[in-house]
Amino acid sequence: MEHKRFELAMSPHVGTHQSTRKIMFDVVIALLPALAAATWFFGPGALLIVALSVGAAVLAEYLCLKFMKRPVSFAFDGSAIVTGILLAYNVPPGVPWWLPILGSAFAIAVGKQAFGGLGHNIVNPALLGRAFLMASFPILMTAGWTAPEEWRNGQNNPWETNGIVQEELLEMPNADAISGATPLNVLKQSFDLDKSADLANKEGNHAEALDLEARASGIRHALSQKSTYLNLLVGRRGGCIGETSVLLLLAGALFLIIRGVLEIRLPISYLGTVAIFAWVFGGSGWFNGDPIFHVLAGGVILGGFFMVSDMVTTPVTPKGRIIFGIGAGLLTMIIRRWGGYPEGCSYSILLMNLVTPLIDRFIRPKVFGEVKEND
Amino acid sequence: MTRARTFRGGTHPPGNKGLSSGKSIRKIPAPDIVRIPLCQHLGAPSKPVVSKGDTVIRGQEIGAQNGFISLPTHSPVNGTVTGIEDFPMPHRRSGSVVVIETESEEGGQIFEKWDDFHDHSPAEIIERVKQAGISGMGGACFPTYVKLSPPPDKKIDTLLINGVECEPYLTADERLMLERPDDIILGMEILAYTLGVQRCVIGIEINKPDAIDVMEKKGVTVLPLKVKYPQGAEKQLIDAATGREVPAGGLPLDIGVVVQNVATAAAVANAVRDGEPSIRRIITVTGQGVSSPCNYDACVGTLFADLIEESGGYTGDVERLISGGPMMGIALYTDGVPVTKGTSGVLALSPQEVRDIAEGPCIRCGKCVDVCPLKLVPSMIATAAENRRWQMAKEYGALNCMACGTCSYVCPAGRYLVHYIKNAQDAIRSGQGEGV
Repeated sequence: MEHKRFELAMSPHVGTHQSTRKIMFDVVIALLPALAAATWFFGPGALLIVALSVGAAVLAEYLCLKFMKRPVSFAFDGSAIVTGILLAYNVPPGVPWWLPILGSAFAIAVGKQAFGGLGHNIVNPALLGRAFLMASFPILMTAGWTAPEEWRNGQNNPWETNGIVQEELLEMPNADAISGATPLNVLKQSFDLDKSADLANKEGNHAEALDLEARASGIRHALSQKSTYLNLLVGRRGGCIGETSVLLLLAGALFLIIRGVLEIRLPISYLGTVAIFAWVFGGSGWFNGDPIFHVLAGGVILGGFFMVSDMVTTPVTPKGRIIFGIGAGLLTMIIRRWGGYPEGCSYSILLMNLVTPLIDRFIRPKVFGEVKEND
Repeated sequence: MTRARTFRGGTHPPGNKGLSSGKSIRKIPAPDIVRIPLCQHLGAPSKPVVSKGDTVIRGQEIGAQNGFISLPTHSPVNGTVTGIEDFPMPHRRSGSVVVIETESEEGGQIFEKWDDFHDHSPAEIIERVKQAGISGMGGACFPTYVKLSPPPDKKIDTLLINGVECEPYLTADERLMLERPDDIILGMEILAYTLGVQRCVIGIEINKPDAIDVMEKKGVTVLPLKVKYPQGAEKQLIDAATGREVPAGGLPLDIGVVVQNVATAAAVANAVRDGEPSIRRIITVTGQGVSSPCNYDACVGTLFADLIEESGGYTGDVERLISGGPMMGIALYTDGVPVTKGTSGVLALSPQEVRDIAEGPCIRCGKCVDVCPLKLVPSMIATAAENRRWQMAKEYGALNCMACGTCSYVCPAGRYLVHYIKNAQDAIRSGQGEGV
């Protein structure tokens, strides 16, 4: 008997239109508004840094795949573009042009391809690239701040630390203790003054302690005046290229939520932890911190919506994701409050990335009908 | 109408039921040659009791029950046996079929007609359901009489009739509910009487308002259910209807529930009232790959090719031919396979309808975890299975998977999750890789 022959395949025979590639390009689209803000505030230099970083990431991916004789089509699935953008978003706007190239190439080659490529990397490649740059070029990575919009006034001099907040603060008495540009740098200075005051108190030098405390609270006061919530929301402040414009980052996040790409549990648990921690420990005493400031300043919005929520390096279960978010939030705030860096977002995520396999190993959803079996 | 209920998890594949939902059931005569598989049910194949050259009449037993989880097989036609041979099957590679040359389809009353089932004891009815060879017609093909004989220590209090039909494309159950509601309702009554239960409801997805309407007008308790795949899976239906969870590795009767498909209920009614064995069923022939999709009342042993021809043949390219629905159905390499008691649909999908995506690496998006109706972690079971770590796959609950395909459906990387998990199940069940 003659019958037509058909192809065989495993069920299901239909599927969604969603694909890895579409998800990656959705993330790219979601990151673009913040790039517009970065260009507006920090100048075309910021745009160039992002472009170089993306180009280096894609090229590194292509070369790695070629070298390992793997299908090079992976280089164009959009994931390298995401890594490139995120790395550029995590460096100060005043870094030299070769820095993002080096960082991106490291991120892709060591952070991603060395582990087996897409889906197999343990830590977020962009953050690993940033950590690599921080360790290798600490001065470039912490001194390249530029004040927002200054490039249009023709005084672009990225080698000086001249963020908006600091400029204003310079007019204050005793402002010499300040050497950072971002709001979190300034906040860190005030905490350092607090520490000195404590020390002075212990040594019995009460007058000096009082003076130091007054300076610390003066700085915090000035910070709250100059780094208004509005400035923080639109991104008119010093900071890394992509982290400043909270509003546009949130717009991108909203786009991802609508597209069903963003798992909301991660950013919510992360930012929630940051906010609660900031309220409890973030001020001069207990329960007088400013949670809104802590969420808006620094990189937790970028981190929370685009890096804590990175699919590959975070747990797959709902419960695991909440644990991840809380853990990263706590680490971020511990670093901010008591650690050596003003901002702890990227290291906290890297540390939690390392714990992810462990979380996935032990946190599993209760299988349908499991409890009743044990009755 | 009460608020539609549902279960947690699941997904929403496009229904595509419009292709055939408006087409009334067309009863088609048996083809000149019927090929009756000896194994149309879950369990041991029946033993052939006829041989080449024998004359058989319609309804005659041609295969005898062979064990507890097994059923007899009957001839759907009057005719002559021309042989017993190996033949391609819709649900497995091949199996024994009894080939019969059809002479006619008239007469052939083997079983006595029972005007009022109340005159007969539950035990008699169970015996009749067994003799009539009725198996679950929703897909699993489990012998129905076994489900009607729960161990004495299990108290059954609820009978659920499954009219959900959550598989996209299929409309056989929907048409049955619209056109033969009395058969279904009589079947329900017989089943409830046999099991001794008072509570008896029929679950229907709210995308079939006509069917809900018909059933409610007849005074049946309808449980409206949200449109979501796999709402018709036994455990998910019970969850939505009663809030009870079937224990992992257990059976619905462990929590006092018996579920029967609407087509099974109708078959029970036919067997008890009319003395008809299970030799015909309703089949949806659909997909963009056939000229005119339709619902047929065809006899077991009809070839898929006959049904396709009845529907005007193929239209252009057919990417895939499937027995059943697109989510759990089995792809066939040929349309030369016979209809069985469990064949709910014949699906000819055009290239546009079949998902075309190259398999990529898991990006750990967790979509499969969100949608798994059994709360498993499909991606991790699949990864363990890919690496042949069977013990780990088992730890992750591989054996609980019912292969509904929801995870593969949503996977953006196009991973063959069901395939990997089924591999793991086979390996674990066959004792491979102990301790690995």
